[in-house]
Amino acid sequence: MRQIHELFMSAIAEERQRVATRRGVLSNGAKIAAGGAVALAAMPALGRLTAMAQAFTDDLDVLNYALTLEHLEFAFYRDGLAGFTAADFEGGIYDNLILVRDHEGTHVDTLIQVITSLGGTPVAEATYDFGYSDAAGFLAVAAALENTGVSAYDGAAASIVSVDLLNAAGTIVAVEARHASYLNLVNGEVPFPAAFETPLDRAAVLEIAGPFIVG
Amino acid sequence: MRNYHEDLVATVREATHKTTSRRGLLIGGAKLAAGGAAAMALASSPASLLGFRNAMAQTFNGPVDVLNYALTLEHLEATFYVQGLNQFSATDFSGVGLSSTSYEYFGLIRDHEVTHVDTLIQVIGSLGGTPVSAAMYDFGYTDVTSFVAVAQVLENVGTGAYTGAAQFLIDNDDLLTAALTIHGVEARHASYLNLLNGEVPFPAAFETPLTPAEVLAAAGPLIVSNMPATGTGSSL
Repeated sequence: MRQIHELFMSAIAEERQRVATRRGVLSNGAKIAAGGAVALAAMPALGRLTAMAQAFTDDLDVLNYALTLEHLEFAFYRDGLAGFTAADFEGGIYDNLILVRDHEGTHVDTLIQVITSLGGTPVAEATYDFGYSDAAGFLAVAAALENTGVSAYDGAAASIVSVDLLNAAGTIVAVEARHASYLNLVNGEVPFPAAFETPLDRAAVLEIAGPFIVG
Repeated sequence: MRNYHEDLVATVREATHKTTSRRGLLIGGAKLAAGGAAAMALASSPASLLGFRNAMAQTFNGPVDVLNYALTLEHLEATFYVQGLNQFSATDFSGVGLSSTSYEYFGLIRDHEVTHVDTLIQVIGSLGGTPVSAAMYDFGYTDVTSFVAVAQVLENVGTGAYTGAAQFLIDNDDLLTAALTIHGVEARHASYLNLLNGEVPFPAAFETPLTPAEVLAAAGPLIVSNMPATGTGSSL
């Protein structure tokens, strides 16, 4: 089984400089939510990363890919919200962020359970650096993560062989889309920027999420 | 090709009683009542919905069938927003405390649904199928507040419908992915509309997939007749 974290790590070793640049962009509050994927297309070194966008080897591979992203999301909210209080956000937002956190935690637990029950080895949580420095930056990263999550599930779903697992993935991606809609809104962005989601392949998701994984 | 509108209309007349209770289950009751859908004038001879449900729950007859199921719902949604936004202005929205931005977002949702309709018609046609037509609807809203409440119901049902039906496209990667790219947008709409209606935008960690029968029970009562008048047996 391919270790997605290892892929991330090996990519990151070569991408340090761009990582720093990207994180700088994020912490400045820029919204990669809507524009990130487009901007990435213009960046160099896509050829090398394309090699990592191979089709998934099997359903377990897809599940661990999903788990990698859910780990990242859950850690983001768990650790981030521990450093903020409701007063750091406008009314009601903090409570909804708690709910989002709990959803991601449930997704992590569920995916671990499913992977294990299928005889696979769930990927472990990594060490992350999300690069935000205040509540506004936290919200911007949250929107980026959720929008990327939707695109990742949409891009991977066709690789799923099992009907049951496809159904399960469908029930998760819709909730990610609900999160993304809300987080766009609280960032002052259009909650539903297009009539269709943008599916992203593994390489594109790696480009966006990889820089957050530092160890 | 199965004719969903005819199925819907025929069944609604027989299934009012169970439909009502099912709708309550699906939506949580209050919203549909507020939205006016529960005010639909329905005949009231209870019948065996179960047999029909089982029939509807069977696998679709190929991808065109699945796409026409989706198109049936998209027609309903698109018509809902086109009609409602023709009727209500931004001023009407502000009259009930809704911002001009929310009116703009409704226009955007309308545009999305119209795009979904156009796209599905195109895809079904390119697959050699016959796209279903729009029907006649009665959405039961009487003012902006109930219009916004019905919108919430439609988007949440739509999300559940796609969640439940995506599996039937598993043998066609392109169509599956395309359906999911619509699915996510319906979920975004639903999230926003929940919020606008004072509810949690994401009420659970997992979306509830709806079977065609459940979707029928929720959306069927809004469809009052086929259009144009039927009788030819042609695909609608």
